[in-house]
Amino acid sequence: MAVNQPLGQSSMALAFIKRLSSGTAPYFSLALLLLAMAWLLSAATQDSSKLNDLFLVIFGIGLLCLLLLAAILARSLYRLYRDFKRHEAGSRLTVRLVSLFVLLILVATTIVYGFSIHFLHRGINSWFDVKIEQALNDSLELSRTSFGIRMRTLLRQTRMMAGVLSELPDSELSHSLRDLNNLSGALEVSIWGMDGTPVASSIETPTIMVPDRPNDSIISQLLQGEDYIGLDPTENDDLRLRATVRIPRQSVLAEERMLNVLFPINDRLSDLGETVQAAYTDYKELSYLRKPLITVFTLSLSLIVFLTILVSIWFAVWISRRIVEPLQDLAEGTQAVASGNYNMQLTASGHDEIGFLVRSFNQMTQRLTQARNASQRSHRLLGQQTSYLTTVLGSLSSGVVTVDKRLYLHTANNASSKILGVNLQQRLESPLSKLAGLNRNMQTFCQMIENCAGRGLNWEQQIEMQKSKGNQTLICHGTRLPNEAGWVVVFEDITALLQAQRHAAWGEVARRLAHEIKNPLTPIQLSAERLQRKYGSLVPSDQSEGLNKLTDTIVQQVEAMKEMVNEFSEYARTPALQLQWHSIGQLIREVLTMYQSNPNHQFALLNSREDIQVRVDANRFRQVMHNLLKNAIEACEDADSPVDIVISYHPLESQQRQWLEIHIRDHGPGIPDDIIDTLFEPYATTKHKGTGLGLAIVKKIIEEHGGDVWAENHGPEGTSIIIRLPLEEHRS
Amino acid sequence: MPAYRDAKHYLRLFALLLLGFSSLAHATIFSVNNPRVHQIGNGYVLNAQIDYPLTPRVIEALHNGVPITFFQELKLVESFPILGRFWQWETKLWQTRLHYELRYHALSEQYVLKALETDDQQNFPHIEGALQALGNIQDLSLPPEYTQETADLLLLIRSGLDLSALPTPMRPGAMISSKWQLTSPWVRAVWP
Repeated sequence: MAVNQPLGQSSMALAFIKRLSSGTAPYFSLALLLLAMAWLLSAATQDSSKLNDLFLVIFGIGLLCLLLLAAILARSLYRLYRDFKRHEAGSRLTVRLVSLFVLLILVATTIVYGFSIHFLHRGINSWFDVKIEQALNDSLELSRTSFGIRMRTLLRQTRMMAGVLSELPDSELSHSLRDLNNLSGALEVSIWGMDGTPVASSIETPTIMVPDRPNDSIISQLLQGEDYIGLDPTENDDLRLRATVRIPRQSVLAEERMLNVLFPINDRLSDLGETVQAAYTDYKELSYLRKPLITVFTLSLSLIVFLTILVSIWFAVWISRRIVEPLQDLAEGTQAVASGNYNMQLTASGHDEIGFLVRSFNQMTQRLTQARNASQRSHRLLGQQTSYLTTVLGSLSSGVVTVDKRLYLHTANNASSKILGVNLQQRLESPLSKLAGLNRNMQTFCQMIENCAGRGLNWEQQIEMQKSKGNQTLICHGTRLPNEAGWVVVFEDITALLQAQRHAAWGEVARRLAHEIKNPLTPIQLSAERLQRKYGSLVPSDQSEGLNKLTDTIVQQVEAMKEMVNEFSEYARTPALQLQWHSIGQLIREVLTMYQSNPNHQFALLNSREDIQVRVDANRFRQVMHNLLKNAIEACEDADSPVDIVISYHPLESQQRQWLEIHIRDHGPGIPDDIIDTLFEPYATTKHKGTGLGLAIVKKIIEEHGGDVWAENHGPEGTSIIIRLPLEEHRS
Repeated sequence: MPAYRDAKHYLRLFALLLLGFSSLAHATIFSVNNPRVHQIGNGYVLNAQIDYPLTPRVIEALHNGVPITFFQELKLVESFPILGRFWQWETKLWQTRLHYELRYHALSEQYVLKALETDDQQNFPHIEGALQALGNIQDLSLPPEYTQETADLLLLIRSGLDLSALPTPMRPGAMISSKWQLTSPWVRAVWP
């Protein structure tokens, strides 16, 4: 704390000085000082004797005013310099304006100052003239000469008077003096001791009682043996002549005395003499004062010019800042607008062009704000529309893609990605040529669009694609977008539709076949049995065997045909499903138990973690499982492969629904590629026996349950049949 | 080149302005010698001799027709010692200022000395005589109403040039010039 205290005090002092030097304090100080100086000046001019005392104070205050003004100006200029260095907005313009003003002020004041000084010198010097000076000197000399002649006469006269008086005894002096006074026409005649004591006198003017004593200088001159004669100016500015001479002593012992006589000078001469004296003195004084006069005038002028320059420069700085301030605001406002702040409103000042500019700026920002708000509203609306469209497109089961006129993918909905098996949303703004390289299907699709793009306004095209589940048929509709902005292509997977149509046709065929074939079969079989029974005994014994063989063949073939017809009728039959909740694991295990009697057959059921309840028709599901297992076993046996079948099931989510997926995998030879697409259609078999309807029935039953079934080849490692059944919410 | 000469002149003036105050003490100034108070009857009179060593600048002005005004200032002070002779309480009882004008009369070649208060005028052929007469204070009577009790009375006297009486253009220069600042210090008169 002890260390901090002096620091604190100094910082406080600094803060005090800063406070004094900032804001309006210097201006107030200046105003106060000027007021004080005005008061002092008025006091000094009212009483000139005070000026001597007040001079230094006034001088000091004047100097202080000047210093303060200079400090204020220095502060203004320093601020300007600082702003300029910091590249603050408007500082450059301010500096330019100030420089211009200062230049103007300096040029103008310098010219005025130079001319003023010149005229001042010329003016004052023109008062004086060598000729006049000479004339005055001469006239003074003339006057002196003129008085000199008279003075010499009077001196002689006075000496004679002194000679006369020297011979008179003291008792007669008074009387004689009066006579001499009257005779000489003098104003005053007096006798004095050499120590200045009066002896006797005679005065012409009765009002004057005391004679005029010759002063000590005159006495000392007389003592040195020199008589005195001189002009004597009076209090009334008149002139008179004084003659002082020693009175000759009659004896060595006698007291030395002097005679002092004052002679008048006639009025005319006196007036003329005084006029000459006054004119000479005035001219001499004026001539002597010329230098100080010029000095004072020049100093005053310089001071005024200096003050004017200081005030003008300060004013230039102030006015420049005033002018630039709104421009500075405008610049900042423009920057704010440029950086996106449209709410900027400036304070409008004045009714001049700058005020107009500021008001225009405010109007502009208001309009900009309105425009931005409108644009934001439109943008929001557009966003809503877009999201609405996206939602609509997303919920469509049809694929929708748009391409621009350069054949770049522009939009694609979820369904399009699903149908094409490629995530198109991640590949927006890619050229179709690039997308075509992704796989064969995409190549077909993109090729189709590129080919059709050149056609008319609308086109329709059906394409086939290869999928793991089989062939996929797409029907595509293309429509040209307005303003030739590209194309919108809507496509749908119609594979299921086509299959349904095929199944319906097959069902109809099967139903008719069963109906048409089954009816004559029973009479054929019965007739063959009767033929054997009735005519077996009639034919010779060597031929009865042949007969039996023929009739047996007929009966067997009829039986086989019956079986085939039954299967056809089974395929065509569409009884109502008896849907009930069953444990899928239990159902599969029930079916498997029927096949486990053969020790060569390996079955494995991979249990799911939980027992999944599924709503199925148990009988028909069992038939599905029988058909599939039988098919698998036969396929393995035909290929002499070991029968090793693995069954697994698990729930999964696909297409925003819950599904149960059952995999039945054998390790047989696999399904040839040429029939894998038509595997589940009737008569799509590679086996030597069977009706070729087993898998068709499986597909029909699964589709009746709302599910799907397909086969996947694993190369030499066998085949998987995959069943997908919808999983509904478990009953409560 | 009058402007250049003037500039030099102002520079000199400015330098004087700065140095004037400090050089004040070194200039020859007026001095009051032997101020003595005498008792004459019931009253008191002052005798003193004042030296007026005029500077050439003043004499030049005088010869150029500028009247020079002198003042003689007298002050009666009552002094009460508070702390011995170190600290006194002083009360001014009376003060007077006498003005004398000295000018040169060119026609008569006389120096005219005039007491401005009384209009008394004396003429001198030489300046020394005029200054001597000016400096010779003979039997100047003091106001009797303040001199009843003289125990604590002090009479102070000084003399100088009255610069405010100078012509206006000369005043600023004279006020800052040591050549014109000739006022004597206050001198105590010896009391009987």
